[in-house]
Amino acid sequence: MGNGAIKSSPRALLALLLAWLAPGAGHVYLGRRARGIIIFLTIGATFWIGVAMGGVMTVDSRNEQWWFVADMFAGVHGLVSWQRQEQVWNRLLGEADAAERAGWGDPAGQQALMDKRLSEAGLALVAPTDTVARAFAGVAGLLNLMCIFDAVLLALMRVGGETPPKGPPARRQQQ
Amino acid sequence: MTGWTLFYHPMTLSFNELLWMLLPLCASVAITYKTIRTGNLRRLPLEILQLSLYLLVGLAGLGAGLYIIQRLWL
Repeated sequence: MGNGAIKSSPRALLALLLAWLAPGAGHVYLGRRARGIIIFLTIGATFWIGVAMGGVMTVDSRNEQWWFVADMFAGVHGLVSWQRQEQVWNRLLGEADAAERAGWGDPAGQQALMDKRLSEAGLALVAPTDTVARAFAGVAGLLNLMCIFDAVLLALMRVGGETPPKGPPARRQQQ
Repeated sequence: MTGWTLFYHPMTLSFNELLWMLLPLCASVAITYKTIRTGNLRRLPLEILQLSLYLLVGLAGLGAGLYIIQRLWL
């Protein structure tokens, strides 16, 4: 390998973890504080606008697996939403009586029961809001994936802080 | 249902209302992309505005094209 070869480093790994866990934290860690704050606010707002529209079932690990994967790239936002969704799902499941539990032999029966329970509780996410709500949350996750790549590449290239704006350095020296 | 709670119950939105949500979504994509790509943060607002407009015009064009195809051929 030449001198300019990119090597993996603990710094890149830490940037990856931070950028995933808290969107923008990877950039703050690399000295790009302003960019990190903008990323944190933008991705957080996008994700929670989606959850505000779609409610607690926006992040759905059972029926919307591909959106769920995208949601999980939003780090702490996705994890918190998933945890809330699981709590609601288990609570509604726990409220089922013995007769309903008897029909749980197949997953389809359980799903049908949960669809009914969610609808009764006013939590069922239906068209056309479901697509838009999940798109907001999923796009937030995918945008953070882009930021994660950027933070890791910056760490691997050993770029720290803001790069100075391009301009004629000779003129600055003359002044 | 006892009452509506934000982040818990889904909103009831019409298709026309949801169409307006394209604006913040495009803005969000433009802000995030330009924040990591721009060389000079001072130019960031202008670049975000430019990319947001590109996205909206592109999506409007795509929508218009699909609408015409649907009306003429389907």
